[in-house]
Amino acid sequence: MLSEDDISLLVAAQALELAARDIYASAVSRKSKSDEEQGLLELMHSHHTAYEQTLNGVLSKRAATERNAEAYTKFFALLSDASKLWATLLELENTAIATHTAIIERLTSAKHASLLASITTIEARHAAMLASLTSTNLDLALENPAQSLVTQ
Amino acid sequence: MSQISRRELLRLSGLSLASGLVLAACGKQTGVVDDGAIARLGESPSTTALAEAEVTDVVLLRTAASLEYNAIDTYTAALGLGVFTGDLSAATDFAKRFRDDHQEHADAVNSLIRALGGKEHRCANVRINDLYLSPALALITDDKNENVGVDVIALAHALENLAAQTYQGVVDLISDPKLRADAIRIGQQESRHAALLAQVLNPGIASMGPTNDPTTGKPNIAAIPAAFGSQANIQLTIGAPKADGSRTTLLLETPSLNSLVYDSISC
Repeated sequence: MLSEDDISLLVAAQALELAARDIYASAVSRKSKSDEEQGLLELMHSHHTAYEQTLNGVLSKRAATERNAEAYTKFFALLSDASKLWATLLELENTAIATHTAIIERLTSAKHASLLASITTIEARHAAMLASLTSTNLDLALENPAQSLVTQ
Repeated sequence: MSQISRRELLRLSGLSLASGLVLAACGKQTGVVDDGAIARLGESPSTTALAEAEVTDVVLLRTAASLEYNAIDTYTAALGLGVFTGDLSAATDFAKRFRDDHQEHADAVNSLIRALGGKEHRCANVRINDLYLSPALALITDDKNENVGVDVIALAHALENLAAQTYQGVVDLISDPKLRADAIRIGQQESRHAALLAQVLNPGIASMGPTNDPTTGKPNIAAIPAAFGSQANIQLTIGAPKADGSRTTLLLETPSLNSLVYDSISC
C-alpha cells in the first residue's frame, strides 16, 4: 500500500505527464511538420498518454485530476514560436526526466520508483532524438540541464 | 471389507515404494565389508564452500561498475579496429564520447560504492565478457565478415541497451531511494547513447519509432522501440552469413545471480 507521501509524489508525476500529453496534443494538432515528423510527434504523444494512464491506474481514486499548470503554461507559450518546436519539446522531456528522477529519489516504494525509471529511460530517448533534430552537438543529446519541478 | 479408496491405495503404495528406496540408498548393506576392493573411477576432490553471496546495494553497484568497464573496453577495441570510415565516420566521435561517458559513470558508481563502505570494482564483468562480448568480437572480426564497422556499432548498441536495462532493473532492487535515483540518472544517459547509435544503424525520422522489416517481419533497430523501458533480452545479429544465408543472433541478458560482482570478487 502506498504511503501518503508516495501518493503525493506520484500525483505530481502524473500531473506533469498530463501536461506533457496536452502539449504534444497541441503540437500534433498544428500539422506544421512533414508526415515523418508528424508520425514522431504522434508516437511521443502516445507515450505520454500511456504514462499518464499508467499512473492513473496506480493511483486509482487518488489520481491527479488536473495537469501541472506551471509546466503546461510555460511550454504552451514556448510552442507559439514554430521554429522552436523541437527545442521546446526537448526541454519538456528533460524537465520530465529531471522531475521523475527527483521523485524516484524520494519515493519509498521501489516498485513505483521502478515504474518511473522505465518511463525516464524512454523519455531520455525522446530527448536524444529531439536534440538530434535541433543540432549535431552531442552535449545537447546527452546532457540534461533541466531542473526538477519538485523539490529534491 | 476394507474401506480404502483407489486413490488412497495408490498413495499408500507410492509412499511405501519411496520409503523403501530411501532406506535402500541410505542403509549400510548387511555383510558387506568396505575393504576398498570395489572399483571406483577417480577420487572425489574435497570441496570448498562458496563464500556467502548476499545481494546488497554494494553488490548491485559493483556489477554496474563492471558493465561500465565492459563498455569502455568495447569502445577502445572498436576504435582500435579503425573501421569507422565512410558513412560510419561519425561513429568515431560517438565512440570516443561514449567511452569517456562510461569512464565518468564508472568513477561515479565507484564513488557511491566507497561511500557505502564497499570495495570499488575497476574491471570488466568476466561473465559478460565470456558469454557475450568475446563471442561477439570473434564473429565480428572473422575474416569472412564484410560488415565489421556496422557490426561493431550493433554490438555497442546492444551493450548500451544492456547497461540501460541493468540500471533500470536495479532501481527495483536497491534499498536506498537516493541510490535508485543515482543509478537511473546513469541509465538515462546509456539510453541516450543507445538511441543515437540506433540512428547510425537505422537512420531517419521514420526509423526513430518501431518499424518492422517488410521481408522478415522482424522488428528493425529503433531509437525509441517502445513506450516503457524494456527488461527483455537483447538480440544482436552479427557476423558473416552462414551457409543458409542467416547470421548469428546472440541474446544478451542483464546480469543475474551468477554474473553479479559479489564482494568476494576482485579484478
